[in-house]
Amino acid sequence: MAETNVTPKRFTIPIGPQHPALKEPGHFQFTVDGEIVTGAYVRLGYAHRGIEKAAEERNWIQNLYLLERVCGICSHVHALAYCLAVEKLANVEAPPRAQAIRVLVAELERIHSHFLWMGVSAHEAGFDTLFMYSWRDRETVMDLLEGLTGNRVNYSANQLGGVKCDVDAAQADSIRKGLEFLEERTHHYLNVISHDTSFLQRTRGIGVMTRAQAEVMGAIGPTARASNVARDLRVEAPYAAYKTFPVKVVLDERGDLEARFEVRIKELFESFRLIREILEALPEGELVARMPRRIPAGEAIMRLEAPRGEVFYYIRSGGGDKPERLKVRTPTICNLTSVVRLAVGHQLADVPMILAGIDPCFSCNDRMVQVTAADNGSEKLMTWEELRKYGIDFYRRQAK
Amino acid sequence: MSSVLSIGALLVFPGGLSLLVGGLLYEWFDRKLLALLQNRVGPRWFQPFADTLKLLMKEEVVPDGVNRVLFQGLPLIALAGALTAGLYVPLAGLKPAYGFPGDLIVVLYLLSLLTVCLGLAGANTLDRFSLIGATRTLTQVFSYEAPFLLALLGPALAAGSWQIGKIADYAGSHWMIVFQPLGFLVALIGLMGKLEMPPFDAPEAHTEIVAGALTEYSGRGLALFRLGKAVELVIGVTLVSAIYLGGLSNPLWFLGKTLGLLLVMVGLQSLLTRLRIDQTVGMWWRYGTLLVLVQWLVVILVMR
Repeated sequence: MAETNVTPKRFTIPIGPQHPALKEPGHFQFTVDGEIVTGAYVRLGYAHRGIEKAAEERNWIQNLYLLERVCGICSHVHALAYCLAVEKLANVEAPPRAQAIRVLVAELERIHSHFLWMGVSAHEAGFDTLFMYSWRDRETVMDLLEGLTGNRVNYSANQLGGVKCDVDAAQADSIRKGLEFLEERTHHYLNVISHDTSFLQRTRGIGVMTRAQAEVMGAIGPTARASNVARDLRVEAPYAAYKTFPVKVVLDERGDLEARFEVRIKELFESFRLIREILEALPEGELVARMPRRIPAGEAIMRLEAPRGEVFYYIRSGGGDKPERLKVRTPTICNLTSVVRLAVGHQLADVPMILAGIDPCFSCNDRMVQVTAADNGSEKLMTWEELRKYGIDFYRRQAK
Repeated sequence: MSSVLSIGALLVFPGGLSLLVGGLLYEWFDRKLLALLQNRVGPRWFQPFADTLKLLMKEEVVPDGVNRVLFQGLPLIALAGALTAGLYVPLAGLKPAYGFPGDLIVVLYLLSLLTVCLGLAGANTLDRFSLIGATRTLTQVFSYEAPFLLALLGPALAAGSWQIGKIADYAGSHWMIVFQPLGFLVALIGLMGKLEMPPFDAPEAHTEIVAGALTEYSGRGLALFRLGKAVELVIGVTLVSAIYLGGLSNPLWFLGKTLGLLLVMVGLQSLLTRLRIDQTVGMWWRYGTLLVLVQWLVVILVMR
């Protein structure tokens, strides 16, 4: 992938595929001169799970459960993107109440994701207290999600043509109460990340990405918004109920790590406001619209704003009970270039924070990778049969 | 009879066993308090003992490309240095077992021996994380060592002796924290640097360089280094509280004082973000050294 100034003779620090800073496998090589990073290189593909291929083997309903598991954190947004795309193909529109509940769950998910990210980033900086506290508070929103949908992680709130869960008065009250607590905590965290001197030493002016750079590198999501790029699909291409419940884009022009912290935390306030508004004005009516078993042939594209940025879905239907082709692009892949660029010139100690600053999620973005041998440039493709034979032979040799 | 007593002093108290046990208990106190401040449950009291035992029983992997003698000898030297230092400090608020004029300097250098061994151990392996960790460890030694030493010498100047026992006697009637608050501050934070506690844990920052200099260590070597650190913790808090917080006193009161000191250190650990190594160096040479020199100036002027 992206590569800058890699000179093999220099002292390189490998980060990953197994490294305490990465909770998922990815591989980064940083050439350093003392503590200063002079070059960076990224290699992906360690967590390729073949989900796109698997989706072609399953029917429309089974895929809902499969795709919800693309990401463990933004699970709802994947299921939602899939549902909206399939509904577009089938020319069915989910009822307004369902759309509102979809947005409600999506925003709760955003809160949970941003709290999680804040903890992880603080941990990368060695500020474990913030890590522990933000994850404790994250439990509140996970409990709310569990109360609403029955699940803490893969909520399974969506179904084709609508949603599975309804919001009654008691649930609305518990959500409001939970939000009150979370809002108070969020004010506190905003205060910490923008005033704590020792923390600011590690974030202010670190990993600065200018607006021009962000646009050239195609940064998306909060990472781009922290560089003053007003890119938010909830506003640009409102889906589900975002038309009725509009969002304000949170921007920051500084482009450093501090800005990325502030943008995400301020987005939380937007989410709180939006959820309260939805609870106030939840449209009455059905939860599900009737869907056909076979989806008419055609193609559909769906773009959604996940907590980390744009999620892109492409679905092609051949008119059967399975999709012919399904393509998922997750936000991490768009933001990774910026890590490789921004790390150069910084201290090694800043690298984990710069990496965490984009909120990376490797197993979501990993697709098939074709490795070209560095020495002779050879590429080798194996068929399934060859791979199987290779595996059997390999273990036979090992056993000897 | 006296030889039995000296052997007892070496093996049980104040040397050997009591230092090891005390060290692990202090380590537990540190971990437990930090956990409570961070809204976690924290380890049970015997966890450090269990960790040490487990490590001691495990296989020690000696990686390729290292000097075997150094690899296995360095942890021993480190622990031995720390244990020897214990003989000259007023453990539990009692008179030190041994003493001679100038033992303060010897104790400080015996403690530094541990850090230097750590640095050498890291530099001995081919592992890249170890090398960076070793560089950082040694860089950090050069930043906190001088201010820390000067901070402990301030009371020595006032007491007119560089012997720990005599300084502690003098400190018994003069609470140095009152007379030399700046020196106390630098000594306390210097101790945190010496122990590589957060926020001075850049040499072992695990999100960057895994376990720093100790990345390649496993089993016995790792256990010994960790024991050395635990012993250093006891000696460090004992030294600072004996010199700055009212010298010798009854063991219970002294225990309270050392734990109080540890409490402050834990508070700082939980409040601060890890400093980058350049920030650590900058902080010590820009502020730490300056503060302690100001303190010295005051001491010298007042003594005239």
